[in-house]
Amino acid sequence: MDRKKIYPWWFAVPAAAIFFLLCLLPGLLGIGYSFTDWNSFTEKINFVGLQNYQKIFSGHSEYLSYISNTILFTVATTITKTILGLLMALLLTRPFIRLRNVHRMIIFSPQVMSFLVVGLVFQSMLHPTTGFVNNFLRSIGLGSLAQNWLTDLHFVWPSVIAVDTWKGMGYIMMVIIAGLTSIAPEYYEAASMDGANFWQQFQHVTLPLLRPVIVNVTVLNITYGLRVFDMIYALTNGGPGNATGVINTAVYKLFSTGDYAMGTTLSSVLFFFMLALLYFILRSMENKEVEA
Amino acid sequence: MKKSGKRILSFTMAAVMAVGCLAGCSSEDSSTASGGTSGKSTGITLTFGSHQSGLPTSGIVQKLAAEFEKESGIKIDFQISPDAQWRDLLKVKEQSGEVPDIFCADTTNSLESAINPEKYCADLSDQSWVSRIDKDVLPSVSLKNKVYGITFPGKKMYFYIYNKEIFKKCGIANVPTTYQELKDACAKIKTKMPDVTPIYEATTDGWHQVLPVAENSGVYLKEDANLFTELNANKKKLTDIPQMKTILNQMKECASLGYFGKDYMSNATADAKEAMAKGKAAMYIAEAAFRDEIKADYPNCKTNFGIFVQPWGDNQVIGVNPASNAYFISKDSKNADAAKKFFDFLARPENLKKRLAGQPGISEVCWPEIKGKYTDEDQKYIKSHKTAKVLQIGANYVDVQFMDIGKDIESMYTGAMTPDDVIKSAEKRRQQQAQLQKDPAFTS
Repeated sequence: MDRKKIYPWWFAVPAAAIFFLLCLLPGLLGIGYSFTDWNSFTEKINFVGLQNYQKIFSGHSEYLSYISNTILFTVATTITKTILGLLMALLLTRPFIRLRNVHRMIIFSPQVMSFLVVGLVFQSMLHPTTGFVNNFLRSIGLGSLAQNWLTDLHFVWPSVIAVDTWKGMGYIMMVIIAGLTSIAPEYYEAASMDGANFWQQFQHVTLPLLRPVIVNVTVLNITYGLRVFDMIYALTNGGPGNATGVINTAVYKLFSTGDYAMGTTLSSVLFFFMLALLYFILRSMENKEVEA
Repeated sequence: MKKSGKRILSFTMAAVMAVGCLAGCSSEDSSTASGGTSGKSTGITLTFGSHQSGLPTSGIVQKLAAEFEKESGIKIDFQISPDAQWRDLLKVKEQSGEVPDIFCADTTNSLESAINPEKYCADLSDQSWVSRIDKDVLPSVSLKNKVYGITFPGKKMYFYIYNKEIFKKCGIANVPTTYQELKDACAKIKTKMPDVTPIYEATTDGWHQVLPVAENSGVYLKEDANLFTELNANKKKLTDIPQMKTILNQMKECASLGYFGKDYMSNATADAKEAMAKGKAAMYIAEAAFRDEIKADYPNCKTNFGIFVQPWGDNQVIGVNPASNAYFISKDSKNADAAKKFFDFLARPENLKKRLAGQPGISEVCWPEIKGKYTDEDQKYIKSHKTAKVLQIGANYVDVQFMDIGKDIESMYTGAMTPDDVIKSAEKRRQQQAQLQKDPAFTS
């Protein structure tokens, strides 16, 4: 190795300083404030220990429902986006599909749209009386399937998850397509010479070689899911009632009522949770790479 | 590309970025620059943030702003947000230092909880128009003897607006005065005119469903005339008002009997006019002047609309809310003087008249020099009833959580909460807010 090519450590100082000032420091300050009674009505900040954390994890706290809703959203969208993204990727890498790039572009396009726009458009499309979905169902004689998609407790989560999957699936598909095209065709040739059918090839060639990509995609989906705000805010505003409220909508609400300390406490819980989860995911990925 | 070419390109791009940054820095100056010999302030654009209901749908404020621009050269840039999001958005803007030059906010008896004016609003006490506003309304835009906002709508009173023709066709001779009579009227409408929704209820905006609980304080005060004092002294809690639970139970019963229609959870207040004008709904809670709004938007609508007191909990007392919404100037605004000029302009008698005439949704403005629009029939009806302060004005820390109560009522309709839960939740938020503000009655 040509050691002269290695850049000196101080080349990283500007980037590290920006990272420290804009990412690390606010995060650490936030954690610090979560142990205080910081609010918008008084200038004086008092240390209150773990009182805010106790409020979150005490018996019937509404915050627990926001945490469970966030986890539900994350798990559900991660699964649906990964499975559908994988299926689309498998389909759109088949040679017999015509205009593959056009299809890919169409499926990817919702990704570049603003969350607010998507939220508002679907809010209108899913309106029970005037919305496109119910009107379409009625026009083809399936009026009995028309529902209150965003205000019925049974349908609101599936609707939110479906809209989010529609928006994010294309991106996952593109990442998986990149992974699929990097698998050497020789593996498939060898497998087909051994008499492996499509499913066996998928199970024993595609899936193992795609594992690092799927892990990456899962990490992306989980970090997105835990941080979700705009999609929920625009589509349901946390409703009906607080049924679809998630951690970040609660943080937003707390900040708006002036209770900064509880807001930062809830953000800190999310931060610790995300850190722990990513640690285990990345560790498991490292192990697999070593095994490979 | 050769190395020298790359270097030239990168230098050029760096230079362009640097110039861009500098240009960005200078933009603020240009927006506040004033000049010209005509006395007009050119180049000033005032940002005006509001929720949908803060600006009349008739566009009269925008029309007045256009006239103001013609006269002064100062432009107003309106930024309008949905009702359900504005309160939170405004507070987040306040805390992040991004408040527009002028902003509209719902006023209440606790302006401090709502917008913290001492910290975020310019003091307007010395403005000449202050002495002309209705003395009963002035406290709603004041804090600690300082005036912070300008307001126009008169006292708010919410009634049931009803379609007289539908009532007649369904054989409802008299307007309901008790809950049972309201239910009977709904049952008759539902049976005789199945396509008509007896009561148009709109929950998506977050506030309309709270009106039956908040505006019928006459029922609560009948049992305990000192209720508001006791609530504010923390000697009584919302959970100690059994009539509140009665009203919530009645609302839930009406919803489950289908009297609000099938899609009331997705209904918006903005669609109420159409529903009433086209006879799709028979009743709707609104101010008396809502009828004028219908006539303005649907000139072909010949329906006769009447008003009656909301009979939830057998209430027959009209709830009066002296607070409405008001316009404030950001304390940090560099264009505060221009914004004050705009307020002066709006407060001119001729412009107040234009506003009253151009805003069908209000019956009067809170400027005693301007005569209101209440009809003789309305005035007679209102005079024949007692009035009482609404809950969110009488009791502290209720108005600030109005939208949250709305969300809890939504939860009640879905079955996720009971009426008891709704009241407990509201009381919990009241206690939290009082403790945050270090209210001595709640902290000692």
